[in-house]
Amino acid sequence: MSEKPILSVRNLKTYFDVTKGIFTKKQIVKAVDDVSFDVMPHTTFGLVGESGCGKTTLGRTIVKIYDPVEGSITFEGTDIAQLKGKELKQYRKDVQMIFQDPYASLNPRMTVGEIIKEPMIIHGIYNTDQEREDRVVELLKTVGLKPDHIRRYPAEFSGGQRQRIGIARALAVDPKFIVCDEPISALDVSIQAQVVNLLEQIQHDLGLSYLFIAHDLSMVKHISDTIGVMYLGHMVESGPANDIYHRPLHPYTAALLSAIPIPDPNVAKAKGRIVLEGEIPSPINPPAGCPFSTRCPKATERCKSERPQPIQVGTRLVACHLYEK
Amino acid sequence: MALLEVENMVTNFFTDQGKVQAVRNVSFHVDQGEALGIVGESGSGKSQTMYTLIGLLADNGEVASGKFTFDGEDITPSSFKSRRAYEEKMRKIRGNTMAMIFQDPMTFLNPVLKVGNQLIEPIMNHRNVSRAEAREQALKLMTQVGIPSPEKRIEQYPFEFSGGMRQRIVIAIALANSPKLIIADEPTTALDVTIQAQVLELIDELKKNSNSAIIMITHDLGVVAKLCDRLAIMYGGKIVETGTDQEIFYDPKHPYTKGLLECIANPEDDDDRELHPIPGSPPDLLNPPKGCPFVDRCAKAMRVCKDYEPEVTTFSETHQCACWLHDERAVGK
Repeated sequence: MSEKPILSVRNLKTYFDVTKGIFTKKQIVKAVDDVSFDVMPHTTFGLVGESGCGKTTLGRTIVKIYDPVEGSITFEGTDIAQLKGKELKQYRKDVQMIFQDPYASLNPRMTVGEIIKEPMIIHGIYNTDQEREDRVVELLKTVGLKPDHIRRYPAEFSGGQRQRIGIARALAVDPKFIVCDEPISALDVSIQAQVVNLLEQIQHDLGLSYLFIAHDLSMVKHISDTIGVMYLGHMVESGPANDIYHRPLHPYTAALLSAIPIPDPNVAKAKGRIVLEGEIPSPINPPAGCPFSTRCPKATERCKSERPQPIQVGTRLVACHLYEK
Repeated sequence: MALLEVENMVTNFFTDQGKVQAVRNVSFHVDQGEALGIVGESGSGKSQTMYTLIGLLADNGEVASGKFTFDGEDITPSSFKSRRAYEEKMRKIRGNTMAMIFQDPMTFLNPVLKVGNQLIEPIMNHRNVSRAEAREQALKLMTQVGIPSPEKRIEQYPFEFSGGMRQRIVIAIALANSPKLIIADEPTTALDVTIQAQVLELIDELKKNSNSAIIMITHDLGVVAKLCDRLAIMYGGKIVETGTDQEIFYDPKHPYTKGLLECIANPEDDDDRELHPIPGSPPDLLNPPKGCPFVDRCAKAMRVCKDYEPEVTTFSETHQCACWLHDERAVGK
């Protein structure tokens, strides 16, 4: 691992002001709070966590939909907060996004051809419309659609096919990095595997790097090389996918993994679950110490008052007092 | 005798585009105390099968044929003298001996009524008890489904509950009259993984401690693997295979069942085996294929599959599959 990371996130904080009215106390949601991780070139970093844990906000901060309050995002050695003008446009071309809802993310009044061509026009990649058209046909083939789909509208396609259109649009500007925000959760089981295989194939052929955000842990393990587990805005554990699945260190990771329903009756019926008590606390008013301390079966007094910092344990980073010496 | 027996159910919907054949000749049964999982993707007809059964079809739906027997009584709509007589009968059954748990607790619960009232109502509707007794009962139910401080919570509105807690309320309402059959339509799909685990654990406990039969409708094979004794796999409005959990998971016969098992990632697998997706997409039930519904996506499709509906082949008392591959006439054994 002497290679340099393509994307490096350090102490990133993205907060939202949710104060209602002008005389009330200021209320801040710390959607992403002090998160650090690296994504190596040509690999997939899987980001898992339950709803409200900040994984989507993190993805959107990386593509600069949101601005962080603190911390840095370094892409290929450059801090993206400093980017302006041409360089910023280049960054927006290099980093693309695939969205969760293939129904909401495609303009229903544009044809498939127009949808895929638009980013090429914005970034001025080809000179003539014919060149762009040829590229669209090529892209449609890449994602497993037919060239004659180019004049059709999104409404004529199924969910899986629409997600393919979204992937083709992301690929249109030859990106280096794609943020996949729950690209399969809106799809049927038999279609999910189609899209995951397609993403893996494209990564292999084009040498892309992915940030793969999902709540379906089985699929994340399948596609990712490295995994980060988020809870209430914090990255509680990160490391190689197989290590995390086989020997989770953080109590939250362990509980999350044991909660996955296993599609194998003999294993599922024999296996005991770690069933967590209670629910995720509100991010407006998070616990003072470790964010997980309110539900953690192993929590001590110290966990309730002092926030654990990520520490290196073997191949992994874990933010838990249990592993401090 | 089976608690519920459904024979040859056919349900159609009339839409602007034409007749959608949502449920096409579906037969199954549920025994006392048994958990049956009905597995299928969106549009496979799994939910509409249940809506037909409980008499809650949308206005443009029509039960074209079928015979439904529940708890020794005929509840086929066409067997009643009038629509009204049928509705009246079903109102006595629903929420009483047959209860439902729906996918989205927020749309199931009335947002302007306190959860207490929503729990007390079904008890008072079906039993001759005073309001105070019903309230006592409601508190007991809330404790049973694991809602802390029920005395306080009973006075609250649904929006004051989290998703998991709301689903517990829905389950408590379903349990109100100790039903013989609980129909759960994707009860955990809208929930987060750790909350899903809590709710599944609760359903599992209920199953062990009561004699209620459960029909679990889901797209998640992981959910049924833990909970169900028997499974029915639906595709294109038909049941393509039924069997015990062992038979379906370890000895699947239908190519669709096999495909479904191969395209899901199992986190227990060590080597990241390649996923084998099923190519194509499900059939359009406006114009369903003449033969087997799976023919367009099946790697083993033969000529006969296109033109003729496969008949049911029986492998064991519990294991049946509708596929020409297992038919002696088609493979020429």
